Amino acid sequence: MKEILKALVDVIWKMPQGLLVTFKHMFKKPITLDYPKKKEPMAPRFKGLHYLERYEDGSERCVCCGLCAAACPADAVYMEPDENENGERLAKVYEINMLRCIFCGFCEEACPEEAIFLGREYEFATDSREGFIYSKDQLLVPHPRKESAFKRTIRRIRKIYGVEESR
Amino acid sequence: MADAVENKKNIAEGVPTVTLTIDGRETTVPKGTTVLMAARGLGIHIPTFCWHPKLKPMGSCRMCYVEIEKMPKLQVSCALEAMDGMVVLTDSDLVKRGRRAIIEFILMNHPLDCPTCDKGGECDLQDQTFAHGVDDSRFDFQKYRFTEGTEGSTFDDLRIGPEIVLNRNRCILCYKCVRANKEAFGEYDLGAYERGNIMEIHRAPGRQVDNPFSGNLVEICPVGALTNTDWRYKIRVWLTQTTSSICPFSSSGVNTLLYKDDHQQKIFRTTSRPNDDIDDGWLADVTRYGYQIATSPDRLQTPLIKKDGQQVPATWKEALEIINKRLNEIKDKKGRVCIGGIVSPSLDNATLHSFSKLIRVTLGSNNIDYRTQYRMLPKEPENVYDAMSARSFKISDIDDSDVIVAFGSDLVKEHPNEYLRIRKACNFHSASVYSVNPYRVKSADVARREMIYKVGTEEVFLNGLCLAAIEAGMAEGGDLKEKISPSTAAEAAAICGVDAEHLKELAAAMANGRKVTFIAGELVSRSRERLCISSALANLTRLLGLENKGQVSILPHYANSFGAGKLGLLPQPPEGIRNALTELWGAWPEAEPLTTDGMLINMKKEEVNGCIALGCNPVMLYPDREFARESLEKLDFLLVADLYETETTGLADVVLPLASWAEYDGRYINLEGRVQRANRALKPRFESKPGYEIVEAIAEQIGDKLYESSDQCEQEISRLVESSNVQPLPDKYFDVRPAEEESDEEYPIALFVGDDPHHSGHLTEKANSLFNFCGEAYIEMSSELAKKLDLKEGDSARVESKVGKIIVPVRISTTINNDVVFIPRNFSSTTVTALLMRKKRTDRVKISKVVN
Ligand code: SF4
Ligand code: SF4
Ligand code: SF4
Ligand code: FES
Repeated sequence: MKEILKALVDVIWKMPQGLLVTFKHMFKKPITLDYPKKKEPMAPRFKGLHYLERYEDGSERCVCCGLCAAACPADAVYMEPDENENGERLAKVYEINMLRCIFCGFCEEACPEEAIFLGREYEFATDSREGFIYSKDQLLVPHPRKESAFKRTIRRIRKIYGVEESR
Repeated sequence: MADAVENKKNIAEGVPTVTLTIDGRETTVPKGTTVLMAARGLGIHIPTFCWHPKLKPMGSCRMCYVEIEKMPKLQVSCALEAMDGMVVLTDSDLVKRGRRAIIEFILMNHPLDCPTCDKGGECDLQDQTFAHGVDDSRFDFQKYRFTEGTEGSTFDDLRIGPEIVLNRNRCILCYKCVRANKEAFGEYDLGAYERGNIMEIHRAPGRQVDNPFSGNLVEICPVGALTNTDWRYKIRVWLTQTTSSICPFSSSGVNTLLYKDDHQQKIFRTTSRPNDDIDDGWLADVTRYGYQIATSPDRLQTPLIKKDGQQVPATWKEALEIINKRLNEIKDKKGRVCIGGIVSPSLDNATLHSFSKLIRVTLGSNNIDYRTQYRMLPKEPENVYDAMSARSFKISDIDDSDVIVAFGSDLVKEHPNEYLRIRKACNFHSASVYSVNPYRVKSADVARREMIYKVGTEEVFLNGLCLAAIEAGMAEGGDLKEKISPSTAAEAAAICGVDAEHLKELAAAMANGRKVTFIAGELVSRSRERLCISSALANLTRLLGLENKGQVSILPHYANSFGAGKLGLLPQPPEGIRNALTELWGAWPEAEPLTTDGMLINMKKEEVNGCIALGCNPVMLYPDREFARESLEKLDFLLVADLYETETTGLADVVLPLASWAEYDGRYINLEGRVQRANRALKPRFESKPGYEIVEAIAEQIGDKLYESSDQCEQEISRLVESSNVQPLPDKYFDVRPAEEESDEEYPIALFVGDDPHHSGHLTEKANSLFNFCGEAYIEMSSELAKKLDLKEGDSARVESKVGKIIVPVRISTTINNDVVFIPRNFSSTTVTALLMRKKRTDRVKISKVVN
């Protein structure tokens, strides 16, 4: 008998109390985001998908020196160098395995040619492991950009590591 | 003080010494030692750029600064002799400042293009800038950039030779390359030009840097100014693994290091692994670039079997079954003895030894030989030739010999490392070198006296030496004089066409020398008259007591020639080896033994019906191509294992792919009798298998497993090697009656055949880099002869002998100056052996111009 009474009290008295909280939230600003329609603004230092820069004349900046691969703590970068018809050194194979990559940006720092950068792209899900191995063609930016844009990035990186801008 | 006492103990008695203090530690060194070496002896490292252990110091980079008490300025330690009582500081503030200044100075014009530079990661300049340099530059002006000859290119790289790229901007002018080229190799195709800021290293005007030692220049360059094309832009050095190996092409057993990548299963380059007893850290180009025979895409991929006259790919199982069936058929038809085995002396001990067991025990034949490139081999066992070609010899003993005789050998082509030793003995110890050859060779450039004897008079020359020594009263001849002809030195000199005075001079030098090294080469071992010549050499050795005060040897030619002899891969091995083998195997075949010659003759007579050829190519290299080919064609069954398809595999019923030396662990015995190991660097390519696995598989298929494990085989080998000693020379003089040299009016010109300086054997033409140095056969002749024949450099010449003719381009020799010609034997596109006849002592040809 006592239990039945207790249950009645709960239904009549306590349940509306709980629902009240729910109702209140209907009129509050939601804390989730309507992704992918809406997106969270990024931190200025966000490190996303890599890209390979080009010179303003369209040629590749990367000379396949191997320093990014040497710096990479996750061993995510693989490359094979080659020589083009002008005797210049460039990458024949340049791959980054995005499943291994921990997005630390060490490659960006190591690069002496200012070729590899971590961009702001983070939506690159695919359904196969192979799909996460990005080839040089996928990483190279299609069109060269103005140098000033990424010079700023470099300056920022150098500042973080206390290396003065010497050029 | 303890150091000083300790060091003094290691210095030989009677050597004058000096005692000095370096960084507070006292040390005693022999007089004449440099401060740098004294410091190294104490384990104190002084950075250097231009110093090289095997070159004379030059003092051009000034990186090795040290401070010396009472000397007002910093001193270069690499060129400063240690003096008694010197007090040296290697790490004071002044020294540090000095080094910093030097680095800053060197970097003044350095382009700092490490990202594109192949030296990155192993560069002395990188390391030392990191350790001693400053991190900033005070120079405001433009760096000087060399662009002459490289206009329009981004990196200013200049190809100065088939395999060398020069970037003058990176050069720090240490002169190591030029010095090594001149001092160690005697080559002048690279030099330093201009002065001051615009000083540059460059190839000599109109020349290519293509000398047979050019790869070393790249290796010793402390920066990336000289790089080689095989390594160019292929991989970073820190991504490679190294495997220690030895050279599979030279009988010296030069130590090498293979740089490979396990992931790509590829070798990227070879560098030296300095071993002062053997190679001094220098590699001939054939050693340096020869690794490419392993990585060439032309390698045999699967076994091939002949079906309806066509060779078709097959599995190992099929191939082995056929081998078993066919060998059995031959056995049933004729009994066991009609099978022959020939094997390449470049293969490792385990392969050679198990092959020997397969032929001798499983197949019960005595026909086995590793000498497939020599004509008319002697049948008698324990002959003086075998004895003379396996004397005890030490390469490092060349260094302090005061008389060195190179006889019948084009050293640069046959024994490049011994040539470098001889140069060193000349440079550092002023040895007297005598070069005795039928034509002028490159190695004669260090000779005090060069003697050119008439073609085919080797034994007369040696007899002449004996006679000259006896006549001058330098030695007790005993009954020697009656046993040899001619009877006077003057007569001998006249027959050989050398000056009698020179003959006397050489005899005197050898008789009076403190330590004599006498090297005989391929012109002796390949000669039909090798027995006669070796007897003459044995007489000379005994007469002058050369073995008591030096060394005499007919040097073997291939990586494991010496080992093959020791393991008894001869039809009739010396008594000791034979007994040891019988004891090990419990059996010795009864049949009459045949040499390669004998086998080929019997093949032609169809008395030998089956043959197994392991890693060798007799059709191309036996000195009578038609004869070898016809003989092998007559066979019922020919089994060939090799790396590539060759002319011999073309005749085979079954072809098996053989693994290259880099693809298994193998031991080799060099010409000193030193057992060395070449480690496995790669997996066997395609379906190839190492020699001993092939032999074992055949034996197993026949139903007679040779060894339970490879250890068992190795044990047998080490017992054999330990038990066989150097054969003592008999205590008597040999009869040496030189045969009359036949001449031929119709074919007037003597032809010599040997290796090109960049090649060895039949495989190296598959190595890309070596092919770039030289990719086709040529005929080398003196400019006088060319003029007589109306030929110019590059013209096509028709070369005819009694048995064949070939057409080859003409090359004007820089050395040959008499009427002989040379054609290399390493190229399958033009096989010079087509001109040779096995019964001839001297090959003679006539040459005419091809008019098109
Ligand atoms: S971001 Fe870091 S983990 Fe990723 S590739 Fe670059 S270095 Fe490697
Ligand atoms: S991205 Fe930069 S660091 Fe990486 S290989 Fe290319 S040039 Fe070198
Ligand atoms: S090319 Fe290399 S070895 Fe030759 S002088 Fe220049 S830095 Fe020295
Ligand atoms: S190493 Fe002594 S001056 Fe160069």
